[in-house]
Amino acid sequence: MANTEREKQLIKGLQDAVINYKVDEARKLAQAAINEGIDAYKMTMEGLAGGMEVVSEKFDSHEYFVPETLLCAKALYGALDILKPHIKAKDGGARGQVVLGVMQGDVHDLGKNLIKAIFEAAGWTVHDLGRDVPLAKFVDEQMRTDSDIVMLSAMMTTSMVGMKKLIPMIKEKNPNVKIMIGGSPISEKTVEEYSADGTADNAPNALREAMQMLETLRKGLATA
Amino acid sequence: MAEMTGLERVAVAITQNGKSVPDRVPVAPLVCGATHRFSGQTYGDWSRGIDVDAFVHGHVDSLEMLGHDGMVMLLDLSVEPEAFGMPVVYPEMDTAHPNYDSPWIKGPDDYAKVKKIDPRKSRRMKFVIEAIKKLSEKIGKTHAIVGFVYGSMGTLSMMRGPENFFMDCLEHPDKVMSAIKVIDEVLNEYALAQVQAGAHSVCYDNLYASESIASKAVWEKFEGAGMKTVCDTIRNNGALVSHHNCGNGIYFDKIIEWGAPHAVSHAYVADDVDSWEEQKRKWGPKTTTIGWMPPGPVAMLGTPEEIEEEVKAEIEIYAKGGGFIMATGCEFPPNAPLRNAKRIVDAAHKYGVYA
Repeated sequence: MANTEREKQLIKGLQDAVINYKVDEARKLAQAAINEGIDAYKMTMEGLAGGMEVVSEKFDSHEYFVPETLLCAKALYGALDILKPHIKAKDGGARGQVVLGVMQGDVHDLGKNLIKAIFEAAGWTVHDLGRDVPLAKFVDEQMRTDSDIVMLSAMMTTSMVGMKKLIPMIKEKNPNVKIMIGGSPISEKTVEEYSADGTADNAPNALREAMQMLETLRKGLATA
Repeated sequence: MAEMTGLERVAVAITQNGKSVPDRVPVAPLVCGATHRFSGQTYGDWSRGIDVDAFVHGHVDSLEMLGHDGMVMLLDLSVEPEAFGMPVVYPEMDTAHPNYDSPWIKGPDDYAKVKKIDPRKSRRMKFVIEAIKKLSEKIGKTHAIVGFVYGSMGTLSMMRGPENFFMDCLEHPDKVMSAIKVIDEVLNEYALAQVQAGAHSVCYDNLYASESIASKAVWEKFEGAGMKTVCDTIRNNGALVSHHNCGNGIYFDKIIEWGAPHAVSHAYVADDVDSWEEQKRKWGPKTTTIGWMPPGPVAMLGTPEEIEEEVKAEIEIYAKGGGFIMATGCEFPPNAPLRNAKRIVDAAHKYGVYA
């Protein structure tokens, strides 16, 4: 099929544009794919997400740091804005749904935004509540969206303590939901102390942890 | 050995690293924001810097009640950005912070808005300088007073919003650099004013010199030379140079190359070592470590036994030969039980005696 070569070319181009944080190039290639009637879902998953996987590897190996990763995410979103309206509901479906936000009283949302980009690139539906989020809003959003995972971020101990109150509030409404917590004051001890389900020290690790949580949840549902 | 004052203890740990030891390991649990609870003020009023005498007696009373050897003059990290024009929010029960809903630098062209200000006249910088002067008069002969400046990258990132700032560093480096140069001049003046007010040391916070944030090349390009100037000023005016960095994988090679700190307050090890034992072997001879109890998991949430064990373990690893001050890896959580700060001090007294 003549399209196959062109598809491969566009996928590679989108990957490279994300990896090399070329925002304009990413948008141009995404628009070309749409104009030529090429599958937007395939471009998103194999092109953008494929590129972001390489970015995650570079972040893990300290070849890329926060500034580079943010620019890669910028290129990704530039193309995704064009591709997303053309993705059909039947295409693949989301891998999972996550509610994400920074705890009340805390305005540090850099880590949260990196997580959002990595998760969206990997095909997850992310319900981003932003920063300084009132506790009840996390509970309401999880119930409204029936998300699999709630991710809470805190950079300060003063906002971290709200997690201790919030986690039982979420679990009371939905005992099956998984809760991941993260941020500089968080450790495995905090996870245990606050009865959360996990933590991660960076965005790629958060995605790995979330994939495991999702697998556990789906196995649980299958055997129920 | 005769009992030393806190100041003598800290001075020996910092200046005689590897040559001589103090009577015991100095201890300074970085009780900064938490002193508002000794000052009779809300955290909001304490942060606003409206009553220098209350601020000073909060620190003095905390010294008497907790028994630590030195203090850091950190209000919060928004002092420097606010001085240039960034709006700051002062929650009554939380740490003051920039109002990120309304960044002062809204786009790359706005970096040109950053103009030189006089720290001796800027409201909260002036407050810090006055507090140091008063504290110096009260306890400056017995306890270590450490001033504080937030580094130029950290300061500027708070005025732009960190996310946009980091992208601008790669996309608009010249515009970022023009603002950094102005900030460097002000930080230099601010550090000098703190030394002249009586600070024994001034701490430069170079958070972005770590794998948590930026590459070595990016950090060095934007902050290296400016930090060197500030550190030289501190040193040339008779005070000790200290650094703070609570990021992970700190670039010790670069901060020593550019800043030659006498001491570094840190929560994690350098980027080129894997353990605290290795940190001690590689970087211990070159600079004193102030650290590294995890503030959240241990200083705040730890049981009394866990806190004592942590202090004991850190002293066993790092105190041999001097060059170590027992502290939290970052500020003692302002909302943590104060009794835990006392437990850190007591455990350091118990396990930190040099034979």
